[in-house]
Amino acid sequence: MFLLPKGNPLAENVPIAKLNLPDALEKLKNGKLTGCAIFDFPAAYCALVYDEGVLVNAIVHKDGTDVKDQQALQALVDLMILASSGTFSVYRLSKEITLAVMGLVSGQATIDSQEIKLIDFKALLDRIKTEQMTATLKIYTPERAGLIFYHTGSTVGFFHDASKNIETAAGEVQQIAALPGARVDLRVMNSTDGFFLDLSGLVDIRSLWEAASGNLFSTPAQPAVAGTAAVAEEPEGSKPAETNLSAADIDSIIMELAGKHVGKLGRALAEKELMNIGGGSTLKIPEKLNEFLVSLEKGSKLLASANKIKEMKEAITAQIALV
Amino acid sequence: MDLTAFFQALTSIFPFLPKIYNPVVIDYPTLINVFSWLVAASISFYFSLNNSRIWTSIGIGFFLLFWSQSFQLNPWHETFTVMIAIHYTIGTIAILIISHGIQEYYLFTRTLEIAGSKKTIYIGTLLILFIAILVISINPKPSLYVLRNYRFMNTVIWFFLSILNIYYIAKIYMEMRDSPIVNGIICLGIVFIFALVWKGSAMYVMLYQWDKAWLDIIEFTEETSDIQMHLAKVQFANSLTKMFNFLTSVSLAGTFGYLFKLLR
Repeated sequence: MFLLPKGNPLAENVPIAKLNLPDALEKLKNGKLTGCAIFDFPAAYCALVYDEGVLVNAIVHKDGTDVKDQQALQALVDLMILASSGTFSVYRLSKEITLAVMGLVSGQATIDSQEIKLIDFKALLDRIKTEQMTATLKIYTPERAGLIFYHTGSTVGFFHDASKNIETAAGEVQQIAALPGARVDLRVMNSTDGFFLDLSGLVDIRSLWEAASGNLFSTPAQPAVAGTAAVAEEPEGSKPAETNLSAADIDSIIMELAGKHVGKLGRALAEKELMNIGGGSTLKIPEKLNEFLVSLEKGSKLLASANKIKEMKEAITAQIALV
Repeated sequence: MDLTAFFQALTSIFPFLPKIYNPVVIDYPTLINVFSWLVAASISFYFSLNNSRIWTSIGIGFFLLFWSQSFQLNPWHETFTVMIAIHYTIGTIAILIISHGIQEYYLFTRTLEIAGSKKTIYIGTLLILFIAILVISINPKPSLYVLRNYRFMNTVIWFFLSILNIYYIAKIYMEMRDSPIVNGIICLGIVFIFALVWKGSAMYVMLYQWDKAWLDIIEFTEETSDIQMHLAKVQFANSLTKMFNFLTSVSLAGTFGYLFKLLR
């Protein structure tokens, strides 16, 4: 069973159809996300792991096999274009849990599918501690799965298939370990000395996205390398005069305005609502702008005065009129 | 303030009301208390009408709290023991609903999600009130022992939920430290600290059976009390109860007035 932890949800179950992948990923980068973005398709599952906005791991799990990193990003674009349904969720995780998740997604398989009964489980836990591993211990049966996260040998959290958030007690995971036929995987994060390669710098998602969404029946584009990707020359005048800012810039400006008027939570609220309507670029459509402002106001009422909310709405409307 | 003449006039206008034989004297602190609960209830109820659903729980809760406390102005409440039991139960339901609202507020600050509808809260509250009143009404008329149990239940639930609310308000504060209304949230936390002392001191006296209700009960029985040996502690606890009851109501009215200004 493929399982990744859910932390503090920033966006949950947003329909894939509403999502512009490059914009969404840019937003996660600009928002300095530490955590996971999860794409749940009917027959596949994709996870992107971020550390302070750096895309450090990508994995696509489909038909029992895993595709990782650059290939995973290519596969994700194809899935997004071809899938008829699916959802997108973003969860913020602590730095420690994120490092352990990186171990789970792309770490070294120190123990692989061993039956718990056949190993000295206590010795394994001692080894994690003494070797100060940053790792994830996955305990699973065909029906259930649980995860234990370690950071430099210390336990930092638990998660299982019925969890809604990271848990601090082992109870349920212990029960899974006691099930007949339970197996265990130990994935240890490779030593990186704190340096992580940014996958979004290796793969030009925007080019892949534009190429794939341009013609559904064309051969999928090869992963384009950022910097060397050919930029198609647009005919003069085809670009509307008012689109001086990219969608990510618009998102940043709006989040900034919300943060200025309503505070840190206002910024997060704006980010979430932008994601729900499909990104800041859609705000040029009056109905979308109205939908966005109504949702933003609803949440902001718990955070700021009516005057501040009014000022924020006016500032956002004025900003959108300018771009 | 002597309100005997007022209530006697009322009984002459509404003859079905029980006659007033004893003087009805309500002291000023009690009047200020009830007035403060009324101010807090009115503002919080106003928030619930014009604001998001999370304020609905908090607003209704404080409105019920006013309802439960208003019995202090009711000269007939000692005549109808069923009514006293209902007042205590409404006070208990009030803190449950307030706590529900505060926990939803905390959830909102963590997930930014507002789920559910106001109607559910209104109907749910009415249903709980109806069931509580029904249960009290179909049971025997509460004796002094039973009334003391109702009061004890109210005090204990208030005490423990106040601790929980202080904890959640601290967590809400951590999440919205830079919000324009954060000072209002701190004030709400202070109100619950006052409520904790108010209900905690009352609970302490009741636990050791040094409360007035128990002393009234044993006045007609053979039982004795060791209150004389602990008079200083009892007097201190009773003065804390009185002082912090007053502080809770006044600070709550102030907090809602302040929140009203911040949210305008």
